[in-house]
Amino acid sequence: MTALSPGLDRVLQRLSVEQGLAAEEAGLDAVCQGESQFELLAWQPLDRALVMPRRHERTEGFPEARQVLRERGWPILFRATGGTPVPQCPEVVNVTLVLRCRVGSSAAHLEWGYHRLGDPWCEWLAALGVTDADLGSAPGAYCDGRFNVRIGGRKLVGTAQRWRRVRGCRDMALLVHGAMQVGGDPAGLVDIVNAFQETIDDPQRFLPESHVALTQALPGLDLETTLPDLLRRLVDWEEMP
Amino acid sequence: MTTEIAVPEDLWEGDTEGVITSWLVSDGAEVAQGDLVAEVMVEKAQYEIEAPLSGRLAIVKEEDEVVAKGSVIATLES
Repeated sequence: MTALSPGLDRVLQRLSVEQGLAAEEAGLDAVCQGESQFELLAWQPLDRALVMPRRHERTEGFPEARQVLRERGWPILFRATGGTPVPQCPEVVNVTLVLRCRVGSSAAHLEWGYHRLGDPWCEWLAALGVTDADLGSAPGAYCDGRFNVRIGGRKLVGTAQRWRRVRGCRDMALLVHGAMQVGGDPAGLVDIVNAFQETIDDPQRFLPESHVALTQALPGLDLETTLPDLLRRLVDWEEMP
Repeated sequence: MTTEIAVPEDLWEGDTEGVITSWLVSDGAEVAQGDLVAEVMVEKAQYEIEAPLSGRLAIVKEEDEVVAKGSVIATLES
């Protein structure tokens, strides 16, 4: 995992989805092994996959769904955080924080973890001129939760977490992850998730209008030059619990 | 001696319920203190549950069962 350093402008790594997920896991391991107190990774997929928690493997129809998605060019991979299927592709940028948290701290709970990632994200958007960014649910969005980063009520960033005990003590390691669609049309990604839903015979369908891509809100944005400011805000945001 | 394994009370605020997403050991298995035994998901967060001590584990809540904060999900006989 890449801790923030003077090379901040090159901090966005281009990785395969499999490599990105492995890098996130390595960051969690580093904190759990006591080698680090804070890890930050920003990565953009070179390829594409539909990524979901492993429990979905138990779903009836999963083998067929995996085959159908593979034939459409969307292999299924598993992730360590919670939620439901999410497409990963070059139109998505992932930002992952891993923090060591003291047990017993009133701040060390799930809601705090989501604000620790989401509040600086909203502040970054505001600095770019987005006046209606906030955290909340986006009904109709895939992998919806209470702490998406939204623009005008539409889901821009999906967030999820994993908690694991730090080796040899009572502290916990928190991994909190955000996946932001930065380009393209959300309809294309919604279509892939709906294809999975259809194949496993789940009647729930998701709505493109519940999502927004960053370039829809900020046309012409140069992500390479603006992303470092988001990462700085994530590093600087208050103290750890 | 029987010891309960419970979902931590202070993991999240409010009354949202979680779900057991996986048992990583079988019912009746011998586990060692610190072994990862289960995963609970709430609010899109996966939380790993460890064995607080060594012993024989008896599962109380099965996979996909809903759990509240403080719910006993297994017991350990040591």
